[in-house]
Amino acid sequence: MNASLSPDARILAQQAPALSCHRLSVRFGARQALSEVSLDVPENRIVSVIGQTGCGKTSLLRAFNRTNETIPGARTSGAARCRGVDLYGRGVDPVEVRRRIGMVFQQATPFPKSVFDNVAFGPRVGGFKGDLHELCEEALAAAGLWEDVAGDLDAPALALSAEQQQQLCIARTLAVKPDVLLMDEPTASLDPAATARIESLVHALKSAYAIVVATHDLQQAARLSDMTAFLEEGELVEYSTTATMFTNPLTRRAEEYVTGRAK
Amino acid sequence: MTPSAQWPPIAPGRRRFDPLGLASRVAAATLAMSAAALLGLLAWRLWDFGLGAAPQALGGGWRAIGGAAAGTAWLVALTGVLALPAGIGTAIYLEEYARPKTRAASALQAALANLCGVPSVVYGVAGLTFLVHGLSLDRTLLTGALVLAALALPPVVASSTEAIRAVPGGLRTAAVGLGATRWQVVRHHVLPAAAPCIATAAGAALTRAAGAAAPLLVVGAASMATFAPPSPAAPLISLPTQAFGWAARPQSEFAARAAGAGLALLAVLLGIHLATVLLRRRLAQGPVASARSLPGARAPAGATPGDANANSPRDARDSFPGP
Repeated sequence: MNASLSPDARILAQQAPALSCHRLSVRFGARQALSEVSLDVPENRIVSVIGQTGCGKTSLLRAFNRTNETIPGARTSGAARCRGVDLYGRGVDPVEVRRRIGMVFQQATPFPKSVFDNVAFGPRVGGFKGDLHELCEEALAAAGLWEDVAGDLDAPALALSAEQQQQLCIARTLAVKPDVLLMDEPTASLDPAATARIESLVHALKSAYAIVVATHDLQQAARLSDMTAFLEEGELVEYSTTATMFTNPLTRRAEEYVTGRAK
Repeated sequence: MTPSAQWPPIAPGRRRFDPLGLASRVAAATLAMSAAALLGLLAWRLWDFGLGAAPQALGGGWRAIGGAAAGTAWLVALTGVLALPAGIGTAIYLEEYARPKTRAASALQAALANLCGVPSVVYGVAGLTFLVHGLSLDRTLLTGALVLAALALPPVVASSTEAIRAVPGGLRTAAVGLGATRWQVVRHHVLPAAAPCIATAAGAALTRAAGAAAPLLVVGAASMATFAPPSPAAPLISLPTQAFGWAARPQSEFAARAAGAGLALLAVLLGIHLATVLLRRRLAQGPVASARSLPGARAPAGATPGDANANSPRDARDSFPGP
């Protein structure tokens, strides 16, 4: 691992990781977005990925569920594993990888369909054979949206508020029953109250999932996560427990960033 | 200097002059008056041309007009069957599958864009050369439909490509993130979102094909429809060619028939246009159009409902290397 790793983070990371990567690099054409990043995400933990805009947070998350491959010119090297399975191994279906590693995007993008159809889309295309209504209720309840929409599941998703749309996108992701959750700045477009509610939701989901959250918001990373990874220009500079990262970071660059003195 | 000294006084009721708004109103009014004048002139000319004596003046022409209208219906249907799946399929390939765009795909797109501007008579010459002389096909409705399909294909591809390109990239990314395959993304999200625009393009292309006389005359359309064609293998006849055939004759009785055929053609074109409008309206309906508030929904948090900022059409253009 090329980054500084605090002893307590080392202990946490030694637990069987739900998600891990080793010397993972991503290029978009001539631009190196991620350089040989190695980190482990333990089960039932929240890992925040922090860093300046363009440091590679989103590229890292998208490399985990292979959605970088949908961008022309993207090249990924190195290894990524989910519960021991090599995500880039020969014969591994990227569509299956995306089903197993759910991702919530920065901007809530509900499909222009009903609430029910939004949640049911993933299971439907994945060949789900059970009771879709039951699954839909379960996912919406887990995302904290069931009480708001239970009376009208046929209502258009685009009529929901911004917070509810993001909750719907989380429910939509949970309905696929992924192994791991990736969240790319899930509260970037929400007000503080809605952000707090989504953070509570993410906390609640921790009992069932390993969660990786990319965020610009240092306070959010401090509130939300067990461990924090600091990226700079595509390199993993430090990977520590959140307490260490925000109170006694191991590296000067991380210290400068979390104290707001980064250039 | 106090702030108030920098600003003009606020005058109640004062309206700011908007030159662009005025220009657009003038342009719209001019267009509307021109269209009304053209329609009036057309009606007067048709009446003057002999239609005023109809239906007696048309005499036996009614049967010919009916036959030619049936021929046009066959041509429109066959052209739609031939051109629309191929055109929409090509657009889907160019926008969703050929990424990163290969040289062959770029060349195909450029060729189709250039073909949009080729005069219709050139398609007739090409059809005569390749279909009639080359493949020895008879001058049937099917042969005419092949020529009209070639005429309709480039604009269908061009417009469908633009419609698919305008679908928000965020929809694709979200669907891919849920484990949808490339085809599932196209089937469930891209095509439904692009369908209203594609329907408009299809209607415009079919309208152009229905009104085309030159390519069919070059291929060799019959000059007189004596019966309603029962199948695509029937001799090539259509309302534009029938109207042209009658209008070219010196006898005065044919002038009324030509005017009648022209009116029938206008009715067919209007029918296609109305069908397109209804189809587009139907395709555009759904949760997006009928967005309504949810009972018990919390107040919008900072953003307008439905304001998905990630939905830039250029966002995350997808090219799936997956299966």
